[in-house]
Amino acid sequence: MLKRLLALTVLAAVAGVASATAQSGPIKIGAILPLTGSGASYGVWMKGGAEIATEEINAAGGIAGRKLEVIFEDHAADASKAVNAMRRLVEVEKVPFTMTSYSAPTLAIQPIGAQNKVVMMNGGGQSDNLANKPYLYNNIPVVSNEVGVIAEWLAKEKGRKAAVLIVANDEAGRNAAKSFREKFAAAGGKVLAEEQIALDGTDFRAQLAKLKARGGDLLFISSYGRNVAIVADQARELGITIPMAATSWVQVPEVLKSKGAEGMLTTRLPFNPDSPFANKFKQKYNVDAGFFAVQYYSATKIFAKAAETAMKKNNGRLDGEGVKDAIETVRAFDTPSGKLVFQPNHAAVMDIEVGVLKNGKVEVEKVIKANP
Amino acid sequence: MDLLLQLLATGLVVGSIYALCAVGWGLIYGTTLHFHVAHGAVFSLAAYYAWAGQQLLGLPLIVAVVLAILAAALSGLLIDLLLYQQLERRGAIRTTVFISSLGLLIVVENVLAMVFTPDPLRMDIGVLHNAVQLGPVFLTWLHVLAVALAIAGYLALMAFLKRSRAGQAIRAVSSSPEMARTVGIDLGRVHLLTYALGSAIAAPAGIIVAMDVGAEPYRGTTFVLLASVGVIMGGIGSIPGAMVGGVFLGLLENLGVWQIPSEWQSAISFGVFLVFIVVRPRGFFGRRIQSAEI
Repeated sequence: MLKRLLALTVLAAVAGVASATAQSGPIKIGAILPLTGSGASYGVWMKGGAEIATEEINAAGGIAGRKLEVIFEDHAADASKAVNAMRRLVEVEKVPFTMTSYSAPTLAIQPIGAQNKVVMMNGGGQSDNLANKPYLYNNIPVVSNEVGVIAEWLAKEKGRKAAVLIVANDEAGRNAAKSFREKFAAAGGKVLAEEQIALDGTDFRAQLAKLKARGGDLLFISSYGRNVAIVADQARELGITIPMAATSWVQVPEVLKSKGAEGMLTTRLPFNPDSPFANKFKQKYNVDAGFFAVQYYSATKIFAKAAETAMKKNNGRLDGEGVKDAIETVRAFDTPSGKLVFQPNHAAVMDIEVGVLKNGKVEVEKVIKANP
Repeated sequence: MDLLLQLLATGLVVGSIYALCAVGWGLIYGTTLHFHVAHGAVFSLAAYYAWAGQQLLGLPLIVAVVLAILAAALSGLLIDLLLYQQLERRGAIRTTVFISSLGLLIVVENVLAMVFTPDPLRMDIGVLHNAVQLGPVFLTWLHVLAVALAIAGYLALMAFLKRSRAGQAIRAVSSSPEMARTVGIDLGRVHLLTYALGSAIAAPAGIIVAMDVGAEPYRGTTFVLLASVGVIMGGIGSIPGAMVGGVFLGLLENLGVWQIPSEWQSAISFGVFLVFIVVRPRGFFGRRIQSAEI
């Protein structure tokens, strides 16, 4: 009896020490990003943005005196890899919060996060299905907002009447294509044909040749990452001369540098390449910053603000539920691209720019305000 | 009509690349009866050799490519010398050789991914990327080169097998190893030569794909699978069969999407293969497949 009592006391003491360190050690959060594979260029930006934000937070004394530490995981655009990473973050690292990216991987991890009360902040994926999900917040607009803007612009101001679509065969690609079909039809256009391609494929000439034979006056590319550069180059190679259009997903170095993408009509989400953040990024990584770098910088800062609010309210205790409540109460967060307000559907709205890709840059022709 | 011509041309280009890979694999399989899936590793290695020659050593493209083909030939030879021959000396059966080959493929691919990252490494090929228009058909110079290389490689290999003593030795071993041994042919040396030749023939395929879209570590697996399908369709033991089988697969993949939605592209190839293997197991030109051969 005495022995058992003694054991219990020791156990309690150990548990006490353990929980004490958990309250004072570094705060660990996750980030599940495309660090390799077809979207590795996004990964460079996302990771860099989160790292710069973390440095700034820690240099300013951390979150309620505790240092912030981000654990980076790679999903390589693969949902099953994202699930493994999420399980590790939840079960081993016991994080209250993780950043996430890409539509399919984020949809795959969301139930795990919701079940274990871990807040997920998605700054990259844009499928409409990412909205209205418990514990998942998107500091980016869903794709139908962007597609709606460009479909209307193409039909009404660029005189495009008949589109052919090439669609990445995944959640994001199919979702954007679905939006485009609806919005382009609503704006008076017609979709003549659609062909699907594998995101990690390298030869889309058969699909493009088929679309070329259908005619039309616009090729809409419902895909992202370096895939779009291959599509654009092969389309031009096959003698497809009609204008091409896409969403802000195409703003990665491979596409901007690609010869085939020159003249592409595209949306863009607000990003200032001359901001102090962009300069800092360039200095640190020797790579030009992009929109997605700011997104994950902001996501990290949003967490810091929410965590601080939560800890103040809960006497220094930090958990996912507290962070979620704090996001819901604060709602509006300061970011380098202005005030970000989470909508009731857990997604953000932003100004959307439309323009033409010229010499590796988007020449903006028009800005559609989020809150006119 | 224009679409059909374009798909035909693209199919011919893709088919030429498959054919190079299949001819190499078919030569090795027909001679050694090794189900050499590590052929895919040689295919990927060739791409990285060429990339490294041009981008790391700064060699002119043509020099980098020639060296890469030689290095790929040496790699194939070493796989046989250091792995398969060692296993066979200890009495390993064909299944063991196959499993070791599969293991090697996975190891090589993962080491490539570790060293060079899984992202594609682009080469600088200058004017080869420029488009060529033949009537309604659009290709690039690289594609024209791929077809030319496939034809040249095939003709050179056939001439070598028919005319040279070493080539005749390979054919002798291929038709009957026991008989070849009794007339004094050194099987080990013939195998080494076969591996070097088969790898050298397939290397340009890997290099051309790398020139087109970049060198990637895991691509070899797809190509060795298609190569073996091409060889079986063409007829095991027949080099013309492997050539035809490879071209046929490329055409099938591209012409298949003419009327069928393109997401079924790879299902078409393998579907036709399954029908083929049931209806005509000996392929276009080959001998009947025997259960003992795999």
